[in-house]
Amino acid sequence: MGGTRFIGVFLSRLLVKEGHQVTLFTRGKAPITQQLPGESDKDFVDFSSKILHLKGDRKDYEFVKSSLSAEGFDVVYDINGREAEEVEPILDALPKLEQYIYCSSAGVYLKSDLLPHFETDAVDPKSRHKGKLETESLLTSKGVNWTSLRPVYIYGPLNYNPVEEWFFHRLKAGRPIPIPNSGVQITQLGHVKDLARAFIQVLGNEKASRQVFNISGDKYVTFDGLARACAKAGGFPEPEIIHFNPKEFDFGKKKAFPFRDQHYFASIDKAKSVLGWKPEFDLVEGLADSYNLDFGRGTFRKAADFSTDDLILGKSLVLQS
Amino acid sequence: MATLVFSSSLLLSSPPSKFSSPSLSPLLPRFSLSRSSALSSSLSITPSSLTYPTPSKRFALSALSVRASAEVKKKVLIVNTNSGGHAVIGFYFAKQLLGSGHEVTILTVGEESSDKMKKPPFNRFSEIVSAGGKTVWGDPAEVGKVVGGAAFDVVLDNNGKDLDAVRPVIDWAKSSGVKQFLFISSAGIYKLTDELPHVEGDVVKADAGHVGVEKYIAEVFGIWAIFRPQYMIGSGNNKDCEEWFYDRIVRDRPVPIPGSGMQLTNISHVRDLSSMLTLAVEKPDAANSRIFNCVSDRAVTLDGMTRLCAQAAGRPVNIVHYDPKAVGIDAKKAFPFRNMHFYAEPRAAKDILGWQGTTNLPEDLKERFDEYVKIGRDKKPITFEIDDKILESLKVPVAV
Repeated sequence: MGGTRFIGVFLSRLLVKEGHQVTLFTRGKAPITQQLPGESDKDFVDFSSKILHLKGDRKDYEFVKSSLSAEGFDVVYDINGREAEEVEPILDALPKLEQYIYCSSAGVYLKSDLLPHFETDAVDPKSRHKGKLETESLLTSKGVNWTSLRPVYIYGPLNYNPVEEWFFHRLKAGRPIPIPNSGVQITQLGHVKDLARAFIQVLGNEKASRQVFNISGDKYVTFDGLARACAKAGGFPEPEIIHFNPKEFDFGKKKAFPFRDQHYFASIDKAKSVLGWKPEFDLVEGLADSYNLDFGRGTFRKAADFSTDDLILGKSLVLQS
Repeated sequence: MATLVFSSSLLLSSPPSKFSSPSLSPLLPRFSLSRSSALSSSLSITPSSLTYPTPSKRFALSALSVRASAEVKKKVLIVNTNSGGHAVIGFYFAKQLLGSGHEVTILTVGEESSDKMKKPPFNRFSEIVSAGGKTVWGDPAEVGKVVGGAAFDVVLDNNGKDLDAVRPVIDWAKSSGVKQFLFISSAGIYKLTDELPHVEGDVVKADAGHVGVEKYIAEVFGIWAIFRPQYMIGSGNNKDCEEWFYDRIVRDRPVPIPGSGMQLTNISHVRDLSSMLTLAVEKPDAANSRIFNCVSDRAVTLDGMTRLCAQAAGRPVNIVHYDPKAVGIDAKKAFPFRNMHFYAEPRAAKDILGWQGTTNLPEDLKERFDEYVKIGRDKKPITFEIDDKILESLKVPVAV
C-alpha cells in the first residue's frame, strides 16, 4: 500500500530485484515510477517494466476489498497506513495472506525518563500516532502473521518530511541555525535505504513473525550535533547555532524546528540480533548521500521559509548556549 | 543465569512460497541445540504448526556454554581499590563467584586496620569470608608476596587508574601463569562526540591513564577482557550516588541540577556489572581480547534520576537548574555526575556474552531508599553549603 513517495520507492526496487511480483496500490497522484537520482537508465527501465500499479483510494474499503481479493496477494507491505480500520478490508480480501508487514512508528512509545525505547516499553494510547498502535493491536487480534517496523526519524534522498532539508536550506543560505532550548536534546535518524533493507529482511522470516522492531541509525545525535553533521555532509562551514526559548515566541501554526523538543531515540538491538540487520549508513555518510542525490542537486520538497527564524533572530532576548 | 524470555510468536510451517526462506530449512546446527528446543516446544501453543526454537540462536548457544563452563571452577584474585565508586564492584563480584562455586581471594589495597575499612563494602567483608572467600590486604606492587605465592586462574584488577599502578599486577599475573586478566577501566575515557552512545571501539582519549593500562594488557596478556563502567548503585557502595538526591528530597530541599537537566547518564545496579564480569570468567574465549561497556542498558537524564529518586522516596521534588559558571562554583564539587551527556551502551556484552541487564531504576531506587532510611541517614544533620550558594545566587535576576 503506497510505494510512490519515499520509503516505498526504495523498497519496491529491492523487491523487484529479488524477483518478486510487486504491485503498488496508490491513487496515482504521484507518478508510478520516477527515475531516482543516481539510478542508471537501464535499471530504471528494468524496474519500470516490471512494477505493477493498482489504482485506487485505500479509504474506499469496498474497492480495496474487491480489488485485492481479485488479485490475491501473498504478502502486503503497508507503508502508508494510519488507522486500524484501513487494515480490515485488506485482511478480509486476503484470507490466505502469508504476512502483513506494517510501517509503524517509534512515535507510539510513551515519553520516558529512561531511554532508549525498547520494543517492550510502554506505548502511549493518546499519542499522535495512536492509529499505528491500534493497527498493531488489530493485527495481533486477527491471528494473521504480521510484522511491524517502528522507525524514528527517516531521512534520505526524496524525503518529504523536512528533516535534513530544513538544515540544508539554512546552511545554503549562510544563516544561523536556531535550535530550541539547550540543543542537547537527543534524536535519531535512520536512512531510508537501511529501512528498506530491514523491510526486505523481515519478508518470509519466521523470526519476524508477530514481532515489532525499532529500525533506525546505530547512533543517536544531539540537535546541535545534527546541525554540525548536516554541515559536514554538505561541505558547509561549521554553522552558527542560536539557542532560543520557544516559550518566548508565538509562531502561530508554523514549526520553528522540525523535531520533537525532547529526547527521542530507540534501541535497534533487537533487529540487529534477531534479524542480523544493521544500518549501513552512519549519520554523516547518510546525510551526504541525501545531500548529493537530492538537495545538493537543487531539488527539495518544501521551499525555504525563514519567517520563524527571523522572529527568533530579531528578538533581543536569546538564550546564551 | 539470564532468564529465558519467550515472545508469544507462533511460527509458521514452511509454506510453498515464492520467496526464499533459507532459515526454514532444518539445519543440523539448529537441531543440535536440543536442550533449548525441548524448552521451547513445551511453550508452543499451535498444534498444527511446525515450531522452531524461539530463543535466538545466540542466547541458546550461550545458555549451553554457560552450563558447560560453569562446571569448571576457577581460582580468582580480585585486586580491589580501597575507596571510591568502583570499590563495591569487587564485593559483588566476589560474592557472585563464590556463589557459583569458584575460589576467591580479594586483595584490598592498604592495611586492614585503616580507617577506610570501616566504610562499606569493607565493613561487610565478613560476608565474603563466610561464603568461603579469602580477604588479604597489601600493596598491589607486591601482589605475589601478599597472596603468599598462591596461584590463580583469573585476576581482576579493580584498582589501578594508570600503568604505574597496574603494571606490577599484570607482570606478576603473566609470570605466575594466570590465564585470564580482567581490568576495570572507565567509560570516562571515551572521547566526547556529538553522537551517542559510547560504543566499544569508539575513539578514547589517548592520554587517559586507563588507556595506557588497556594497551599494555592487550600487548602482553594472552587472554584478557576490559570493562568500562559508569556510575553504580547498590548496597555496600563506598561512594554516594543516589544518596545525594535523597539527602535533599527527604529534607524538602530543592535539588539543584546543573545545566538543562537533560544530560543523559547511565546508572547501573552493581549486580549487572558483577554478572557481566562473571560471564567473562565463565566464557573466557568469547570474552577474549574484548572491551565491554560495563553498564546497564538504559540511560536516564539528570532530571529523570531526580524524579525517580523522589518517586522512590514517595515525596514531591523541586528541581532547580543553574549554570555552574554563572554561579561561580565547581560543578564537580556541587554535583556527583558529569555535567554533560555521558552515556555508554553495553552492546558488546549483549552481543558477545549474551549478557542481559537487570537494572530497574524505579525498583532498585525504592530498595536503596529503604536502606537509606533504615540506617537513619534521613535524620542525619547535613549542611548544604554549596547548595545554599547556588540557591542564593538564583534569587538574583539574571540580566540578559
